[in-house]
Order: sequence, then structure tokens, then C-alpha cells
Amino acid sequence: MTLLSLVLILLALVTFVGGQLILKRAMESTVMHGLRQPRFIALLGCGIFLMTISFFLTLGLLQRFDLSYLYPFQGLSVIIISVMAAVMLKEKLTLQLIIGALLITAGIVLVSLS
Amino acid sequence: MRDRPSGFANPWLQLTLSVVCVFVSELLLKRGASDTANPAQAWSWTGVTGLASPLVWLGIIFVIISFISWLYVLRYIPLTIAFPLSRVVDILVPLGCWFFLGEAISARRWWGIALVIIGLAVTAKPVARLEERL
Repeated sequence: MTLLSLVLILLALVTFVGGQLILKRAMESTVMHGLRQPRFIALLGCGIFLMTISFFLTLGLLQRFDLSYLYPFQGLSVIIISVMAAVMLKEKLTLQLIIGALLITAGIVLVSLS
Repeated sequence: MRDRPSGFANPWLQLTLSVVCVFVSELLLKRGASDTANPAQAWSWTGVTGLASPLVWLGIIFVIISFISWLYVLRYIPLTIAFPLSRVVDILVPLGCWFFLGEAISARRWWGIALVIIGLAVTAKPVARLEERL
């Protein structure tokens, strides 16, 4: 793996996590204020933009590596998103949820290694 | 978690729909990306060269459907619960290959699948308790 592919993998991960957090915030804003509000549209646009970048980076990576090789990084997104949702969105992160996320991450890494 | 609609609008049903669509799209995208793989081509690192494959376009349709149900899920379920549960798709692929295609699964991979299932159960348990009370 070259330095460029590592950077691309990390960039795909960061844009994916950022996109998910922004989309969650966008959808939360619809509960109180509905769909026709500038804040929702701006957040949705921003989230879709980040997810699109992540999508095409992943597609490019899939042309070079096996899906199984890229899996561990998808696994990492579980624990990263859980922690970031707790920090940035103030979601409740219980010990049980942390253990669950860690087990899923470890499992995905094991599945991809074999 | 707030009051949730039932039937097709049930967020848990939508989460399942989203996961199934991601599962199908991943297989389509991998197949399509491999068919069109040509690292020598300019811009290939961006992945846009994959658009030459109809399978990639079909995969994109499944991505869009899963994305819409996922947005709906986000409206009702916290990310700390919904996202880990959505990763069930990561064990559906090897299990699907084993079940439908008869591919072998190594002992290590079985351990990984077991860990993911335990992790999903641990994550889903507080949800199940919450649902019972509603």
C-alpha cells in the first residue's frame, strides 16, 4: 500500500464520518421545524456533498483493492461514529453501547483478515 | 427516542430496508468497479471511471434508496445505536457467499462473524427493552 492510498482511505473515512454526523443533525432539525427551512437544506447539501466524495473515493479504492481489504476501515467507522456522535451530537453513549461498538469493530476486522 | 410511526414508516423496518439495499449495492459496485478497473487511466483514483459500467449505475440506484431510508432512520434513532446496527451488512456479505454460493468460511472468519453478532446483540438489547415499555 502506498502513502497515497493510505491518505485516500483515511480521507474516505473522514468524509464518511463527517457526512453521517451532519446528516444526523439535518434530520434532527426537521423534527421541530419541518423540511422547508434553510438550515435543513444547507446541512443536507453539506452531508450529501461529503458522502459523495467518500463514495467516489471508495469506488476508486475498490478498483485497486479487494473489498475484504477495505473492510477493516469500515469497521473502524463504527467506533469512530459512536464516539463522535456522543461528543458532537451529545448523544448518550452507555458502556453497553461502547462494548457493542468495539465487538462489532473487532468482528469486522477479523472477518476481513481471513 | 420519540414516538414512531408504524407499518412501512416504522424506522426499524426502514433500517432493515437500508441494510439490504447497501448489501446489494456493495456486491454490484465491487463487480462493476472490477469490470472497469484500469489504474493506468487518468482520473481512475477518483473512481469516476467506474461509471462506464451499468452495474455501477444499478449499484448507485440501490445506494440512493438505502440513503433515503437511512435519512428517515436518522430522524428517529440515535446514531450511536443505528450506525452500529447498520454494520450487520459486513457479515451479510460473507454469510451470503457461504449460503448461496457455497464458499468456504475460515475458522477465523467464523470468529469474526460471531463477534459481530454478539456486538449487535449487546447494542440492540437496550433498544429491545425500550420498545417493550412503549
